[in-house]
Amino acid sequence: MGQQILNAIFIGSIYALFAVGYTLVFGVLDILNLAHSAVFMLAAAVTYTLVVNHGQSFWLACALAIVAAALMGVVIEYVCLRPLRRRRAPPIAALISTIGLALIIVAAVEQGRPGTLFSWLWVDGANSVSLPAGTYPNPIWNLGGLTLEGTKLAVIPISIALMLLLGYVMRFTQVGRGLRAVAENPRAARLMGIDVDRMIMLTLIISSALGGLAGILFGVALGDISPYIGRDSVEVRGLAVIVLGGMGSVPGAVLGGYLLGAIEVLAVVLLGSNVRAGVAFAALFLMLVLRPQGLFGAQLRERL
Amino acid sequence: MDFLIQLFSDPVTFWNSHTLLISQIAINGILATSMFLVLYSGQLSLAAPGFMAIGAYTAVLMDLYLRTPLALNIAAGTALAGVVGAVVGLPVLRLRGVFLAIATIGFIEALSLGVILNLPITGEGLGLKNSNADPLGGINLVLISLVVVVFLAWRLIKGRLGYAWTAIRQDELAALSQGIDVARYKLIAFVLSAILAGYAGAAESHLNFFVDPNEYGVTRTVQVLTFAVLGGSGTVLGPVVGALFLTSLPYIFKQAGDYIGVVSGLILILVIIFRPQGILGRGGFAFVRPRWWPRAQVRAPST
Amino acid sequence: MRLVRLVSVLAAGVILGACGSAGGGGTTSGSSYAGKTIKLGAILSITGAGGVYGPQSRDGMKLAVDQINKSGGVNGAQIALSVTDDASDKAQSAQVAQTLIQQEQDLALLGPTLSNSAVAVHPLAETLKVPILAVSTTGIHIVPDCNFPQTTPCRYVFRDSLGEQTAIPDNIQSYASDGHPSTGVLLVAQDDKFSSDGGKIVQDTVGQYNINLLKTIKFNKGEADLSPYVTQAVALKPDVIFITSLGGIPAKIMVAARNQGWHGQFLGGNGFNTATVSKQAGDAGKGARSASAWYLGNSFPSNADFVKAYQAAYGKDPDQFGAQGYTAIKVLADAAKRANLTFTDLAGDRDKLRAAMETVNLPQTPLGPFQFTSNHDVKQTVWVIAMDGVGGFTLVHEIKAS
Repeated sequence: MGQQILNAIFIGSIYALFAVGYTLVFGVLDILNLAHSAVFMLAAAVTYTLVVNHGQSFWLACALAIVAAALMGVVIEYVCLRPLRRRRAPPIAALISTIGLALIIVAAVEQGRPGTLFSWLWVDGANSVSLPAGTYPNPIWNLGGLTLEGTKLAVIPISIALMLLLGYVMRFTQVGRGLRAVAENPRAARLMGIDVDRMIMLTLIISSALGGLAGILFGVALGDISPYIGRDSVEVRGLAVIVLGGMGSVPGAVLGGYLLGAIEVLAVVLLGSNVRAGVAFAALFLMLVLRPQGLFGAQLRERL
Repeated sequence: MDFLIQLFSDPVTFWNSHTLLISQIAINGILATSMFLVLYSGQLSLAAPGFMAIGAYTAVLMDLYLRTPLALNIAAGTALAGVVGAVVGLPVLRLRGVFLAIATIGFIEALSLGVILNLPITGEGLGLKNSNADPLGGINLVLISLVVVVFLAWRLIKGRLGYAWTAIRQDELAALSQGIDVARYKLIAFVLSAILAGYAGAAESHLNFFVDPNEYGVTRTVQVLTFAVLGGSGTVLGPVVGALFLTSLPYIFKQAGDYIGVVSGLILILVIIFRPQGILGRGGFAFVRPRWWPRAQVRAPST
Repeated sequence: MRLVRLVSVLAAGVILGACGSAGGGGTTSGSSYAGKTIKLGAILSITGAGGVYGPQSRDGMKLAVDQINKSGGVNGAQIALSVTDDASDKAQSAQVAQTLIQQEQDLALLGPTLSNSAVAVHPLAETLKVPILAVSTTGIHIVPDCNFPQTTPCRYVFRDSLGEQTAIPDNIQSYASDGHPSTGVLLVAQDDKFSSDGGKIVQDTVGQYNINLLKTIKFNKGEADLSPYVTQAVALKPDVIFITSLGGIPAKIMVAARNQGWHGQFLGGNGFNTATVSKQAGDAGKGARSASAWYLGNSFPSNADFVKAYQAAYGKDPDQFGAQGYTAIKVLADAAKRANLTFTDLAGDRDKLRAAMETVNLPQTPLGPFQFTSNHDVKQTVWVIAMDGVGGFTLVHEIKAS
């Protein structure tokens, strides 16, 4: 039982970290960035390629991968979102646009094989791989029947630290105030002299960097890096988390992540493993029907 | 490009050797129309694959266990999808925009992962074998269905329902204050869309020897949404055109070879950026608008 | 100019004639197919999740086609192989199959890669009376009952990929005699047909070897963290953990189980048989056993030739899928040679090819001596292999075909 609680805390941290990026974009832009899960995967893939195929040190590879993820944020803004805003397109077009970018990123990694166009990025095709043992420190302690893995434990303080950092930035820095102003009312923000486009760009950079970091931690702690890790494992659950926690709320995303982790593990323990995912989504549905603003979201205002 | 050349230079052979593709295009067209109905009424519902699953499983199970004729099986699947549509549509009526989208995703995932994968009768993870499928003969049925469905949708749009839906889509609060029974019309759209999706699912199951639980998840729903948005959900034919284009994409761009995924994504982005209202264009999505998104029409400046 | 052209034509004719008589090989005296083309169509998953196997099958097939064409073809006919991607989507797989059959008018088909797609494609090929040779599908109800639950055997469907129905029991039997386990736990991905099929076979087999299956733990293949399931399994302290999944799942389970302090034996299905999985499992997977249709270091001389040629052509080691793809082409070529093809009556030729396939008896393939059983399934030596902890395999047992 204790092991299951540890499992819940760990997976909750991953969901939370992923969702924080998601909710940031949604809170500021009211858009679901569906390329987020692709960036998540890309950072893990880049880390692996740098370490295994280009012989870099793990820490350098991580840093470069996060930079790559942040750059993808720039790409998302320039390629997917800005042209549509300029053309005054209906917002759902942005959804499709990010879907298209996600498709490209996943396909590019999936087709990375030796001797092909994308072999600089990835050479393992559709396979699932993991970083070789010894690449990064991963001490394992067995205490009182419980197994504690260093990498999984490390995820928890990292997630919490990031949430605190983000909270600090949002509340106390110029940049954070600018972001909140844009989220609240962009026309007014513009009138106050805030460069809205730049704020949006910044949101995407931060969000994508966070998503990328979540991907690296996922790949490292779970020993699973493949072109599909974003889509299969976390994409839909990320949506569930931000709904449970409240859209646009960063602490909500974090708590929502742990809540979902707890629900899933409880379902495994009490009801049997096969209904874990079904229960999670049923909970999502119920939450939306009963309390759509989630745990921490503001009361939904009428959108006029 | 050979694909298009073959189509125009020898239509008869093309037709005979591509019946499966054409059938799939027709099914996707019906699905796209189902999506059109909910989008036209201002609801971003992503529940279509769930209703497809209900239609498909019901039809095949009836065939396997009750040995009833095909027409009855499809009708039963469609009807059951409609009923579930009402049950699901009711509680989600007050959800807007993205919240409705996520709720419907919750529905389809709970249905496929929670229910279908755990009921022994559905074959669970192994799916259902449908040995009475008729992949080659089903084309006539689905093509005629598509024409009928599109015609019916067009008539609905022209009538009172269409006006009500347009009013709701553009401004729900204003519609309510005009005395339109918003809840009722939204529910009607939702249920009709469920019926169409259930029919598409049942018909599709007749074309395949195997009903696979994995087919009814988020990937499918994103695909159907893309048909509608890319084709343009302002007109009835828009989503059908989107379905036609996207289903044929791997064949048209066969030259892309292994990189078809990259090419498809690129085309998607290019089309939506240069024609954001879709291939057949015209308005559509006023309801999913964040407060600050620049408006398409000119409005009098507020004081 | 005309003299040069005349001489070249004569020279070509002489060379072709010489090739035709040299390349024919041993067994047949049948009609010469000089100047004709044998059209084969392969439906493989190059993109999508099946892309883990499709490209290797393609590489193996192409190698065989090149070799055969270079040494005179089949009775003088060149093989034209077209490989089309089905994006791991069963609807697209069936659509592609139809175009290959009715538009391209291929003589025979190969594939598709995934069992899911095979369920859609094989009955179609059977209905349209086109021989189809599966090269990587190992699930149940592929041959002979492609129309399951109907029991009439499918006459046009064959497979050269060792089925799980043979492999898993052989593997369990091998370990039962070595390790004498008494308890086991089965971990199965319930939304994956391959894994579910394998799980069923495990459940049906363990009783024979007095292994008590304590629990069957089901999960979904898309789940990120399998630790809760591994925790449940490990808590029961079984002697064996059965893993019938493929992709990244076996390695994740093995690593998690070892981390949680379990030291028993892993037994798996075809999902274990690729170098990628062995590498991903690393030290945790050392000693994990499975039964394979092929093994890099197997003792057949034709295999050594195949491995060398594959390495020369592609710069890497072949795997089971490359070997099965290569063998499939050899099988089809041999059948075509003996089938007395007319090249004018497509329907008749397809049926003749089908009949000739049933009597294929190749002494030399990378898979060893190859024959079809009366159920169009494969009859070959089975290799029980164990992961060596560093991305490769060691041989444990060789079980000859009975």
